[in-house]
Amino acid sequence: MIKSLAAASITAALAFSSLPAQADWQDTLQEAKGQTVYFNAWGGADNINDYIQWAADRIKNEYDVTLKHIKLADTSDAVNRVLAEKTAGKHKKGSIDLIWLNGENFRAMKDNQLLFGPFSQSLPNYIKYVDESARQSITQDFGTNVDGMESPWGMAQVIFMHDTETLKNPPKSMPELLAYAKANPGRVTYSEPPQHLGVTFLKQALYELTSNRDALSQPVSNVDFYAVTAPLWSYLDELNKVAWRSGQNFPSSSEEMMRLLDDQEIDIALSFDISAASVQIDQGNLPDTVRSYIFDQGTIGNTHFLAIPYNSSASAGAQVVANFLLSPEAQIRKQMPTIWGDLSVLSYKKLSKADQAKFDALPRGIATLSIAELGETLPEPHSSWVEALETEWRKRYAK
Amino acid sequence: MPLKHTKWITVLIAAIMTLPIFIGLIGTLLPAFQYFPPIGEYHFSTQPWQNMFAESEFYSSLKLTLITGVGAPLLALWLAFSLLAWGYQRPFFRKIETLLSPILAVPHAAIAIGLLFLLSPSGWLVRIFSPWLSGFVRPPNWITVQDPYGLSLIFALVVKEMPYLLFVMLAAMKSLQARETIHACQALGYGRFALWRKVLIPQLYPIIRLPIFIVVAFSLTVVDLALVIGPNTPSTLAVTLYRWFNNPDLAMRLMGSAGAVFLMITIILVLGGWEFCHRCLSKLTRYERSNGRRCGATDNLLGSGVILGLITLVSAFIALMLLPVWSLAKRWRFPDALPSKWTWDNIERATPLLIELTSNTLSIALIATIMACAASLLMLETKRKSMEESNKPTEQHAFDWLIYVPILLPQIGFLFGLHVLLIYLDLNGSFCAIIALHLMYVLPYVYLTLKGPYLAYNENYLLQANRLRYRPWHHYVSVKLAMLKPSLFTAFAMGFSVSIAQYLPTLIAGEGRHSTLTTEAVARAASGDRKQVGSMALLQAFFPVIVFWLAQIIPARWTKWRLAMKTLFKKGSPC
Repeated sequence: MIKSLAAASITAALAFSSLPAQADWQDTLQEAKGQTVYFNAWGGADNINDYIQWAADRIKNEYDVTLKHIKLADTSDAVNRVLAEKTAGKHKKGSIDLIWLNGENFRAMKDNQLLFGPFSQSLPNYIKYVDESARQSITQDFGTNVDGMESPWGMAQVIFMHDTETLKNPPKSMPELLAYAKANPGRVTYSEPPQHLGVTFLKQALYELTSNRDALSQPVSNVDFYAVTAPLWSYLDELNKVAWRSGQNFPSSSEEMMRLLDDQEIDIALSFDISAASVQIDQGNLPDTVRSYIFDQGTIGNTHFLAIPYNSSASAGAQVVANFLLSPEAQIRKQMPTIWGDLSVLSYKKLSKADQAKFDALPRGIATLSIAELGETLPEPHSSWVEALETEWRKRYAK
Repeated sequence: MPLKHTKWITVLIAAIMTLPIFIGLIGTLLPAFQYFPPIGEYHFSTQPWQNMFAESEFYSSLKLTLITGVGAPLLALWLAFSLLAWGYQRPFFRKIETLLSPILAVPHAAIAIGLLFLLSPSGWLVRIFSPWLSGFVRPPNWITVQDPYGLSLIFALVVKEMPYLLFVMLAAMKSLQARETIHACQALGYGRFALWRKVLIPQLYPIIRLPIFIVVAFSLTVVDLALVIGPNTPSTLAVTLYRWFNNPDLAMRLMGSAGAVFLMITIILVLGGWEFCHRCLSKLTRYERSNGRRCGATDNLLGSGVILGLITLVSAFIALMLLPVWSLAKRWRFPDALPSKWTWDNIERATPLLIELTSNTLSIALIATIMACAASLLMLETKRKSMEESNKPTEQHAFDWLIYVPILLPQIGFLFGLHVLLIYLDLNGSFCAIIALHLMYVLPYVYLTLKGPYLAYNENYLLQANRLRYRPWHHYVSVKLAMLKPSLFTAFAMGFSVSIAQYLPTLIAGEGRHSTLTTEAVARAASGDRKQVGSMALLQAFFPVIVFWLAQIIPARWTKWRLAMKTLFKKGSPC
């Protein structure tokens, strides 16, 4: 009784609060004027850095908000900093206003109350253009409920790359991959867990190999981990033996895998960035005979987000930035293969005709797959699987 | 330096240094025992330790750390002694000496990436022999780098440490009467290697004991080098800790802190063991050293060390030369020995950074290094005074050990504690905070480089000058410091390059709001793209190389220039 009453009153409050949303947003814009937003984001790619700089210039002109990109080598540097501030009791005027993150970093920050919000569901562009039902990963970041604590920025999906000169018909499933590795020892590898692409490879393999797929959407503690993952480990036992450097080493990132592909040390590389192959060909890091492809059963996809730390000194400015980055203008530019090539999070159907035409007109790089070719994405398993898989992997193969 | 109250100055300096170190230590110790309020842990327990000891990766990492952390300094020391014994005071060796500074100036990660490219199966060594000789159309499936035994990591460490040790040894030789000893021994018929082994090295070792300890501690705690060229299944303990600390699951930091404390204890034990072994060894070899034989079988040890040492130096150079080539490459694929397409793009992308970030980088490095030089002089003078008063030649001050603590500790846990302190003091994000943190890392190197020459200075020059005319401060600068110029400049260059290379301290103290060449270069090199890394390494090495070069040419020409200036002004003035 009390519960339902509470629920009713919350619903009422929500309904009430959505009415003056417009007015609220005007207040936010007003408050944001003159603020400086320190945006902590991975700075390893020139094209992404340039895109952020473009956004900074646009935002300065339109909203009088200064966006400063703090380039990080690792997102955890930013998480550590917020944590140190909380330790020292600095609950206001923190040094970070906006973080680019997803998955485990998000879960860690959300669980430890290091985030500001909820805010994303009240951003005008979110209300206008995002369709929460289009993709599970918009509301569930690696299985953790987003609850408005972060605003979607772009989408990623696992793709595989091969050089058509050396490998005509690439393996398109996990069993085929193993067969190929056995026939060509040392030419197949995956990046080292806990690197997120490495863990994703494990999840992808688990999807294809396990007999109990439903278990993956639940927290690990609710299922029999060893029973579900047994086929994965016996698969990897075989694969690692014939893998690159006999499974004694694993590459540390997608970039390293592409380098190895270019050096012809390996035949197949993975990436989370669907336009990676085209961008790298353009930069001279891959031969122009490289093409992307995905497995027959589809590959894992996820969404990456922007979040605001709980002690941000410019949360209004940060919301303005997040909102701008959700605009069709920013998302179209982001999806341009020559700019970044990162997939839009906006719902095509909700866009205006003019914007739809702009999306349709986007050129594709020579090695980039179309949305249709990318097909259906497999959802990320619940985020607790990440920890469990990487721990077990290290226990078995890194001792 | 005409100082009074040396006792108080000593106490004051020690206190200023103790505070941040103490806080940093606390910041590591508390989470190691499960006390970590920001993630809701308020109760002390030994759970993190139990978790760590239950982790099988911990033991294999530890084993690897011990192998590489002891093996590398041993090798580096052996090779450095060999090269020194072989080339000291020979004309061609001067050239080798001047070549050391670029290796010292280039950041660790850059050297590691260069070596990786040199040695990997698709690397440059295989490329120059492929396919015409080796028959490899594609790179072989060998494990030449990141091998599970850590051999390539040891090699990379030796490449970086041997030049440093050699550099320190050359500086320390000035305080030994080496020339006389060599003449006397040679007149008595001792071979070159035998006289070094029996007479000079035993004298040299105590002077460079601390630098050796730093090298050992560095080998045990290094992260960036090991990430690039070290094995990863498992990695060394420092890298494993780094991963635990950066794990999104914040509870892993507790285990990471326990590991950091364990690593500190390991360092202390290894250093103790090292010293113990040294004592035993010198006892054991005492008879052999004084048996009067003019040469001995172990001379060959030094002889073979020379060859290995030269190989190490040469590969370091090739690795360094390959980086600039990468920064000019557009396409460079196996098995091409040189890029097939060239471009200026990479350099063009890096130059705006150089212009933009130079003022930040230089002001931080210059201020921190000048402060470190001043502090070192002050500390050394108090040390000299108290040694003079107590008449004990080897009196140790508190700060002799304290200043090394920051570089002996694993950076990541230690810096977290310090960051919390900075926030309490409301100094976080300020320029001063960055300089202070840099100072902590620069001071030990400056102090160490200056210590030998400063304490070996013959005070009689100064006494004589003051007897002629009592102007203590003036003479301190114009006589003593002027005579110590070469060491001062070298210490400055050393400190400068250390400051330039700081990544985590700059990021943490500056909260990312003050970018330097290094923060930018490390962030951009995060992708591991060799072209980026090549141009960024050039960028990072640019100023240190210049400063090292200046430190070598200025002292030798200083007097000539000064006199020239003087006559110029004399001519101009009416009298």
